Amino acid sequence: MKNKDIASVSKHLGVSRREFLKYCSIVAAGMGLPLGTGEQIAEAVTKAARRPPVIWLSAQECTGCSESLLRATHPTFEHLILDLISLDYHETLSTPSGHQAEAARAASIKENKGKFILVVDGAIPVKDKGIYCMIAGRTALDILQETAKDAFAIIAMGSCSSWGGVPSADPNPTGATPVQKILTDAGIKTPVVTIPGCPPNPYNFLSTVLYFVTFKKLPELDDLARPKFAYGRLIHENCERRPHFDAGRFATEFGDENHRKGYCLYKLGCKGPETHANCPSILFGDTGSGTWPVGTGHPCFGCTEKGIGFHKPLFSKASLHMVTPPDTYPHVVEHQGKSALAGIAVAAAAAGAAYAAVNNVAKKLGDDDGKGKK
Amino acid sequence: MARIVIDPITRIEGHLRIECEVENGKVSKAWTSGQMWRGIENIVKGRDAREVWLFTQRICGV
Repeated sequence: MKNKDIASVSKHLGVSRREFLKYCSIVAAGMGLPLGTGEQIAEAVTKAARRPPVIWLSAQECTGCSESLLRATHPTFEHLILDLISLDYHETLSTPSGHQAEAARAASIKENKGKFILVVDGAIPVKDKGIYCMIAGRTALDILQETAKDAFAIIAMGSCSSWGGVPSADPNPTGATPVQKILTDAGIKTPVVTIPGCPPNPYNFLSTVLYFVTFKKLPELDDLARPKFAYGRLIHENCERRPHFDAGRFATEFGDENHRKGYCLYKLGCKGPETHANCPSILFGDTGSGTWPVGTGHPCFGCTEKGIGFHKPLFSKASLHMVTPPDTYPHVVEHQGKSALAGIAVAAAAAGAAYAAVNNVAKKLGDDDGKGKK
Repeated sequence: MARIVIDPITRIEGHLRIECEVENGKVSKAWTSGQMWRGIENIVKGRDAREVWLFTQRICGV
């Protein structure tokens, strides 16, 4: 990679070459890609002949998705995303209003037919012919259908556009519907990537866009169209409070002694055991350890999982998919061995401890009200 | 008398529409209307009070 390319990007973004490359490597690592991919991403960013055009439609949303993207504290972050793409239409960020903003959208669709990325935040109301969300005198339903068929790919940003989110909560007064369903019903085959979360983590969005820019295709997706690099594991698997779960140590009331000690929040309704996301690994806001819901002492409410966040009651217990702790986790009380022989003894003790821990978990899950274990 | 419609109003959260009438270079009448409704009032009705914050907090994300 030539230094002059980097120099121009550095000037553009206001960061050093080193910081820029480091950032691209972090993004690559976050997606589980090989080390050299960071440089490939940096190269793709600097050598892009034309920035990929992006049209961002907002329907029944609260702008939290855009906020989480723009308020990222990492200094290069919002620059990278805004300088990397050509954001042709975004209601909250557009300088022109009214018909001028709408004209920019129409012009971009015409010019970039089949090439632009469409980002949608917010659910689409379909009840009463979609009148509960109108932009420029037209329904969001109408605008989405018109724009989606000419897009290269669609990113459903946030839980509302992914599953319906807040507005789709019972009794779903406006018929709030996720993007994918609108497209399926209209026979539009444009691929959809979902980045659920309320708000979604901006890194998951940026990583998806950078992957697209670098490799000219979409990342590997799970059966709910979520990128596997971000939503491949349960929160429960990477939770810093997991050892407490395995040991059967639970907070049972907000503010009780166990809660203050940082014990597992499962009995307070934590949905970590049935929610796929990378929150415990990448955290929020770049401000250090513990900066995610469970880290602050509140149960996960399952915003990234279809049918959990805003649908399952906040304090209902999660369905458990894996009661047995994986044997790769450290034990709650780690014994120290001194010789090979002692090591074997430790291994045997550990196996026994794991067995005891499983029994312990099963016992403690049941001793509250008997509903915990499934 | 000219009638002007500005929809959408950008750089704000939500979907806002403004219509106004202009007489002799001055706005004589103006109407604003929110163009999106989720029914959060109806969603929280009858719900466990302990989880209502989850919805009301998301009325506006700015």
